[in-house]
Amino acid sequence: MRTTDIIRRAGRSLRQAKTRTLLTSLAIGVGAFTITISLAGGQGGRDYADAIVNSNTDVRELVVTKESEDTGAIAEYNPEAPQVTGPAGASPFGDSIEFLGLSDLDAIAGIDNVTDVTPNYSPAVDYVTTEGEKKYRATVSTFSPGVSLEYAAGGVNNDLADDEIVLSEDYAKALGFSTPAEAVGEVVQIGATKQRTLFSVPQREEFGYTVRGVSSESGLAFRSQGSLLVTQEATKGLYEFVSEGSPNYNRFIVASVRVAEPSQAEETKVTLEEAGYTAQTAADLLGTVNTFINVLLGILLGFGALAVLTSIFGIVNTQYISVLERTQQIGLMKALGMSQADVGKLFTFEAAWIGFLGGAIGAGLAVVGGTIANPYISEALGLGDIFLLIFTPVQVLGVIVGLILISIVAGIMPARKASKLDPIEALRTE
Amino acid sequence: MINVKNITKTYGRKQNAFVAIDNLTFKIPSRTTVAILGKSGSGKSTLMHAMSGLDRPEKGKVIIDGKDILRLKDRAVDAFRANKMSFIFQSFFIQANESCFDNVSLPLEIAKVPRSQRRAKVDAALAAVELSDKRKSRARDLSGGQKQRLAIARAIVNEPEIIFADEPTGNLDSVTGAVVEDFLFKYAHDKGAILIIVTHDPDLAAKCDARIEIQDGTISKMTGLPMEGKKK
Repeated sequence: MRTTDIIRRAGRSLRQAKTRTLLTSLAIGVGAFTITISLAGGQGGRDYADAIVNSNTDVRELVVTKESEDTGAIAEYNPEAPQVTGPAGASPFGDSIEFLGLSDLDAIAGIDNVTDVTPNYSPAVDYVTTEGEKKYRATVSTFSPGVSLEYAAGGVNNDLADDEIVLSEDYAKALGFSTPAEAVGEVVQIGATKQRTLFSVPQREEFGYTVRGVSSESGLAFRSQGSLLVTQEATKGLYEFVSEGSPNYNRFIVASVRVAEPSQAEETKVTLEEAGYTAQTAADLLGTVNTFINVLLGILLGFGALAVLTSIFGIVNTQYISVLERTQQIGLMKALGMSQADVGKLFTFEAAWIGFLGGAIGAGLAVVGGTIANPYISEALGLGDIFLLIFTPVQVLGVIVGLILISIVAGIMPARKASKLDPIEALRTE
Repeated sequence: MINVKNITKTYGRKQNAFVAIDNLTFKIPSRTTVAILGKSGSGKSTLMHAMSGLDRPEKGKVIIDGKDILRLKDRAVDAFRANKMSFIFQSFFIQANESCFDNVSLPLEIAKVPRSQRRAKVDAALAAVELSDKRKSRARDLSGGQKQRLAIARAIVNEPEIIFADEPTGNLDSVTGAVVEDFLFKYAHDKGAILIIVTHDPDLAAKCDARIEIQDGTISKMTGLPMEGKKK
């Protein structure tokens, strides 16, 4: 018998037992649905993490901290080391944090491939305001040219001047600009207080910046970022003003190190670690996030696999009953000269059809349902215009093909029973 | 021509051994219609199964077209049945859920007849049994006589040289039975095929060219066939 004819006959047999076929397929469909959704979630999650890391970090940038004396082990006291314990410098775990001093920054700058070392100034400013508006609490961060930002109005193309600022949409609104575009070109003031003054008289000052762009709310931005961005020089200036003379002046927890080429990041990381620093590349950051996503994905896939496992027994059962029911038909086909192998194939293809149907139903529902649900999920999770479920044709096709193969395996035993059937026994009428 | 030589088939083992057919020998020339008569349990069905290669007697030969089909490999026997033989059963064994067309098409598919040729052959077979108008009908909607006619269409569609009919009219009343018999004999005569009818109906047997009567696994009487070694 020709394979195409066998496939057609297999399909026809299933159509004649519609309810049974459909119910068995639905069992597989549940598995297909779960697996497709989890694969899409994994894909979406990884893409999202990728996008977050890429838009918040620069692949040429490493985040460097001073290596703290091994966690758990008791560190020897070093009076020379600039070390502070207590509320200001303590990590949440109670370990003391070692700071990067100016000498450290110099040492790092001397390492091969390092083009630039910038400590994380994070000046503790008091507020931001504009003429005739209230004062709002604010945090100022450094604008990093390597980080991609989305703009609601205006924009910066690697040429932010030291007296210019990028506002987030929220701040633009709070500061009384009715549209983001209105804010561009206006001047905002940032107020700061000197921490240590000669006669303990508070010394306040306001610094003016021209709004260069308004960053739009993006699902990709870290929460801490995106408020107020000024140039590195400007942050440094604010830092100097606020911290000069205080005990922690020029002691930094974190510094970002830039290398000339992205490919040098990993190599530089090793060099930094040998020199006693802890360094994280963008890839490391992505890896951490991806590990988390993969664990979640694994759990979901496990449930899907369990559903598929259950449905295997469904297929075996259905096909077994089908063989028993169609004993006479099998006997007749063998009497008419159908070979054992072809009879086996007929039932194998029936199982494959069930697998295909289940896979197509499950994966199809997942794609349709996921596509419909995507905007709602994004809204609920505050991802903006990023979609969490990303269906790739390869994965959906892979799920369907995989389930067809699993169904074929499940159909082996019933198919064997059918092919071994004795036609004389099968055609006995009594 | 079918040449049956000394075939013996035993069921069971040792004390439970039961000899279904015992050392049967006969020849059926081409263009012959033969009735195999006997009571139930006489071994006539076993003989039919042996002659069609469905069963394998432990002794003897069944030579068709110069080949001993009992010595052929499974696949070769399957191909032999698909191309040279066909069957008609007392309880029809048609696929109730399928259309008449698909029922008749089955032997052609098994014999690997290309799709392009099947249509004409199926239509011709349905026309031969006067079921052309039922082409698209489901087999379950047919009457008993129509079902057996459909079975005949299925049996003749691939133009076999040998047709085995196992009590073909056993489930039919005499009028519809006669119609079915006529179709069978007509095909056998028109195509010069061998028609072997297993029956216990003497009237049907009387219509055949030859008769083999089986009793307790041996031939009790044989008429109309050339006797082997009849040199006395």
